[in-house]
Amino acid sequence: MAKFLNYRNISFTIENERYYASEISLSAQASTSAVILNDGTLLNYAPEGAVVGSLSVNFYLTGSFPSYLNITGTSESAITARFANVLITGLYPKSVNFSVEPFQPISISTDFDWYGNVSVQSFDENTDDQKANIPVPDYFANGYKSYINKKDLEGVDNVVQFSYSASCERPAFFNVEDKIPFRVAKLNKNVSCELSSNELGDLLSITGKNAVCDIVLKDLYGTTLNTFAVSGVLNSQSYKVSEGQYLLASAKIDQVVVEKKTLI
Amino acid sequence: MSAILSGLNIKNIYEYDGTQSYSKYDIIDYQLVTGISVYPAYTGFGNTGLTTWFNNDFLNSFVTDSRFNVTGWLNSVSGSGNLIQISDDENTKPFVDFNEYYLNIYGDQFLSGSGFASDSRTFITLVDVSEIKLSTDSRKIFQFCSSYGENSGKFIVSGVSNSGAAKILLDSQQYNAVSPLYDTKNIFTIVQDSNSNSIKVRQNGYEIGTYSSFPSNWKSGVLIIGDNPQTSGVKYYELIHFTGVLSETQIDYYEKYLYEKYFDNTRLYFAKNNVPAGEQYSPITFSGRLYWTQDIDELFKLSYGSSVNFSSNLSTLEMGDGYRSNVAKNVNTLQTTFQLNFDGLTDTQAKCLITYFENTPEAQNKSLYEGFKGVNIDLFNPYKNNAELYFKTISHTTPYNNINNIKINAESLYDSSLDYKGMLVQLDEVSIKTYNSTIYDINYNDVFYYGSDSFNLRGYYYYTGSGYNQGSSGVTGPLIIGPNNSPTGADSWFTKDFYFKGDIDYGIDSEIRLVVNDQKNSTIEYEKDGINYNLMQFNVVFNKRSNKEARALLKFLDEKAGFKIFEYILPQPYNKTINVYCPEWSHTYNFYDNNDINIKLIEVKSPVRATSVFNTIISWSS
Repeated sequence: MAKFLNYRNISFTIENERYYASEISLSAQASTSAVILNDGTLLNYAPEGAVVGSLSVNFYLTGSFPSYLNITGTSESAITARFANVLITGLYPKSVNFSVEPFQPISISTDFDWYGNVSVQSFDENTDDQKANIPVPDYFANGYKSYINKKDLEGVDNVVQFSYSASCERPAFFNVEDKIPFRVAKLNKNVSCELSSNELGDLLSITGKNAVCDIVLKDLYGTTLNTFAVSGVLNSQSYKVSEGQYLLASAKIDQVVVEKKTLI
Repeated sequence: MSAILSGLNIKNIYEYDGTQSYSKYDIIDYQLVTGISVYPAYTGFGNTGLTTWFNNDFLNSFVTDSRFNVTGWLNSVSGSGNLIQISDDENTKPFVDFNEYYLNIYGDQFLSGSGFASDSRTFITLVDVSEIKLSTDSRKIFQFCSSYGENSGKFIVSGVSNSGAAKILLDSQQYNAVSPLYDTKNIFTIVQDSNSNSIKVRQNGYEIGTYSSFPSNWKSGVLIIGDNPQTSGVKYYELIHFTGVLSETQIDYYEKYLYEKYFDNTRLYFAKNNVPAGEQYSPITFSGRLYWTQDIDELFKLSYGSSVNFSSNLSTLEMGDGYRSNVAKNVNTLQTTFQLNFDGLTDTQAKCLITYFENTPEAQNKSLYEGFKGVNIDLFNPYKNNAELYFKTISHTTPYNNINNIKINAESLYDSSLDYKGMLVQLDEVSIKTYNSTIYDINYNDVFYYGSDSFNLRGYYYYTGSGYNQGSSGVTGPLIIGPNNSPTGADSWFTKDFYFKGDIDYGIDSEIRLVVNDQKNSTIEYEKDGINYNLMQFNVVFNKRSNKEARALLKFLDEKAGFKIFEYILPQPYNKTINVYCPEWSHTYNFYDNNDINIKLIEVKSPVRATSVFNTIISWSS
């Protein structure tokens, strides 16, 4: 391993797809607590649970949105990633979010939990051969053509900026004697959308306002990369003006994602 | 719908259908074939051709000599031939056991009779064949012939009981058995058709082959059962004979009659894998056993957080002055209740486990005189595998869609304090070994059983590392422990005493035992209650302890069986050694190397060492 690895020479892939990441951070946490005996001596530090890893990635979307990053879907399967030529198995995505601003490239942030061993001592730069074969993307998501499709957003006028976030909890379940979970489920799946506009219509009521919209991500050439459906309740309105600026209204839409049970 | 299914609180469980495929965790009620069962003597279908029916339903079906050796098995169909034994040789007569539903015929024993001739016949029998040890060994189930000693007309099972190796033979024609052949009940059916000159062979409702161009002996009138010298033989439940060829539907009726009467047909089966369509994958076939199970360990594993509570069942005699005698009420000293956690189950898995729980009382009885069998299950560290538990209560919660947490409370009833290997924490020669002076791996808290002719010396010893300069990390590699450092040596590295230290946060409450004179409507007076009035009763907590320390501590308590007295050193500021016994303790397995143990200690003034002892080692042969 080189003394200092350089960003330019480090690649990152998920499920063998290369991601053009602006930032990647990987960490691991062990939960321990001290065991002190009644004679005042320290016995040891006991494990309270498994080693839980965390992986955060900011990347530019250069193709269609991958299905394995569908946070609110029913799939609980683990995915694999390769960071600095080290394989990370047992990755479980738990949040995706991005914001869209005029003419700005769209950076997508994702967070994962991971379990199992990662050979962090083996981080390495790409070989010359790997560097030579890095493809150059033709497309990437941009605010220029991306937009919010207002299906039911009563009173909302010109949207100048918006963001999307999907998240869930990933509780891990272990069999006795195991340190790696047999299942990492999905719990409390939520979607939220925040938008800024010149106009938001009437003030919301005690039940908020129904809100249905689609967020359409496109590249500079107008190719649709993905559509994110939001169907929830608009439960926050705010208005702000500052010297030399226009009045800007902001709203937040929250959606709880549920699945109807299939009878078994 | 059977009473078994209607008695469950779970819907959408059906009888097995061989034409369907099934998914893992699916549940079926296996009844051999779908449809009705029919009593062989039922006449609603007209003349079925029933000419022979031997069963064990009534004592008067047997003719015996004065020693209850069978000299005749009477045909339930009047006017038909019987099976008899006319020899004076005692060795040729089966013994009738009036408590069983079968007639066991082994060794030189056999019965024979005449009057069973038929060109075409349907012959259905239910037998249990004793295990065959050698691949060349065999058992003759029955034979049709014209006289004793002929070589054809035989129905034989042969070969060890593996798929492909277990064979059914009609004379020299071999057919692969679809189900295990030995030490289990089997329904064998032959359908002999003189028009097509063939005999179809069925095992448990599944057609396994056709014997073409069979010799004429098969049509003859002498029937012989038994005659398997030097073997433990065959148990005969019923033999049913119809002249002529019955339809497949009729055969199904009668086979199902036998199945419902004798098989364990009330326990459900659970898919441990995805099951392809096809009757060859039914639960009782060799192939089906790869897909269906009644073993909970093949379906689920326990989750962390599982726990157990122990409480000793004692008869306590208070003798005054703080002296007390505890006598265990029986050899199963400990009342043990496990809480088995199964967390993070999908809805399908939860349905499977809840159904398994609700179906457990349908297990077969342990014997004619006992209740039903418990569930054999592998417990968590450090308890034994294949423990027999009785599932009592279930608690099911769902924090979110398709996430289910289930807790089952289960009792262990048959753990004997006379078993020197232990009750639930056992001498398994893996985690706990018999002591040997040559040791290849030894670490702090290792437990050894030391055998000795002396009651006071033998027992379990705990390696504390003292006297060997390796600290708590122990030593790895061959190590010869000299007699001086052995468990009973003068400078031993081992201890038999309670060396475990509780947590830093502890509390001890104490109460003076007093005699109260209650002067009604006035006041009360206290007098000291003899001597030894400051006896303690308190809990000691050991939280977040490693698996190894937990095993050692729990083995110590297991060996004490809830009533044996040992020494305990009270912590600061007491620092005194007192005699105690531990009638109750609990253990929760939080995570790997994280165990919570809470023990209750009661101080007694009785001595630790018994003055008279039961100095006999009881060895269990199985």
